[in-house]
Amino acid sequence: MAASTEPEAALSVLPRADGSATYAHAGYTVMGSVNGPIEASRRDEHPYEAHVDVIVRPAAGVGGTRERHLESILQSSLSQLILVKNFPRQLIQIVLQIEATPENDYVNTKLVQASLNFPVVPALLQTAILALLSAAVPMRETAASTVVAVVPQGAKRLLVDPVPRDLEAAHSVHVLAFTSQDELLLAESEGDFTVKEWDEVYEAAKEICCRPRTLDEENDVGPDLRHFLRTTLEEKVAEDLYWK
Amino acid sequence: MATAQPLYVLPGDTIDPSLIPTHKKLPLRLGPGLRHIPPSAIVPTVAGQLVADHKKNSMWVEYNGGRYIPAPNDLVIGQIQRSAADFYFMNLTPFTSNATLPQLAFEGATKKNRPQLASGALVYARVVLANRHMDPELECVSSSTGKAEGLGPLTGGMAFDVSLGLARRLLMARSREEGKVEILELLGAEGLAFETAVGRNGKVWVGSDSAKTIILVGRALRETDDGKLDVDQQKKLAKRLIREMK
Repeated sequence: MAASTEPEAALSVLPRADGSATYAHAGYTVMGSVNGPIEASRRDEHPYEAHVDVIVRPAAGVGGTRERHLESILQSSLSQLILVKNFPRQLIQIVLQIEATPENDYVNTKLVQASLNFPVVPALLQTAILALLSAAVPMRETAASTVVAVVPQGAKRLLVDPVPRDLEAAHSVHVLAFTSQDELLLAESEGDFTVKEWDEVYEAAKEICCRPRTLDEENDVGPDLRHFLRTTLEEKVAEDLYWK
Repeated sequence: MATAQPLYVLPGDTIDPSLIPTHKKLPLRLGPGLRHIPPSAIVPTVAGQLVADHKKNSMWVEYNGGRYIPAPNDLVIGQIQRSAADFYFMNLTPFTSNATLPQLAFEGATKKNRPQLASGALVYARVVLANRHMDPELECVSSSTGKAEGLGPLTGGMAFDVSLGLARRLLMARSREEGKVEILELLGAEGLAFETAVGRNGKVWVGSDSAKTIILVGRALRETDDGKLDVDQQKKLAKRLIREMK
């Protein structure tokens, strides 16, 4: 079954960085720090917009091709959210350190690195957004992201936030992100699937990322990510403006 | 000024039109954290508390944290990085591109008689030009009156880092009533002799004849900032620090 625990987050945990956040959900814990806008190196300088530099560090070992792939996915999504045109020739640096990944209870894994890339993307993206908000980097809007797996049998064919065991059995895994204006921001898929299946995945993900949750609902599709983001930030802002 | 129910906004939120102040004569002024998308949408860009001033017909988002982004007419404390033929290159925040300070932008400066500042010197200055495509430009003299008005090189003393929110509160015209920060007045009332300069970029310079006083005032500011102390706690802190010093 999907792990339908509530996400947890803490903001501005690092004293030296401009903004930082930790985020834990579905077995993943990620810490992120944001510095910027700062001076870009000559190589990264763009005359009309800020360069968004994303660095993903795995829980163990040094990053490789896998992390570079995640970085490129996150970089293109976050550049859409940040008002990059406001800071030409500058750099916004986002460092994401994966601290914990869910373990497969049935297999002894020696390597802590995830075998699939996509399940970690929502945690990385949420951490990056929380850290950016903590750093007060001007942004166009916020976003929410989720992972959906299509499993071959069972009552629930679509699994939200699947555990590693489900991922092994899954035909395909999809990661989707929606902005706060209900627009699709990111859609990456892996495995075999039909157009019909993708449409179902799209609807399920949109449900989680966009629709406000009502209290009397019983079908646990997942946490209300947008509400979570808002309450987390409200707490932080209220604490910062204690003197008001 | 503050509304009864604080309204928190996130980037991209829609602002209810009833919250936008209207005025017969004055144009609407948007402060930090808001952007105007023509024709009529006003959208927050940071997470914070939306504040509207109906008298001045202005609105802005109040937040704390992040990196200082230069804006015209801000008072800042910069450090001289190096000197060129006509300019000093100044550092306002670490790792950002340099701000320029013309060597003639001091009170009474002429081509023959201009202040000689070594690299590392602190200068209290006003931001004249803050344009996203250019490096920010500073001045230490009011261009209308030709007077320094308190700006210029800061000699002796020490600069302390504080949060941008505390710097903003210290710079308020009535920092005690509106900003709820009283620690400097309290320490002054206890008999300490010191002077301060507050930079909007999160720097407070403290000057005094006695090094002990400088450290004490700096520590008091840092503790007020980190501990998020209210006025009563600030009073206790001032008393404790004075007692410890004796």
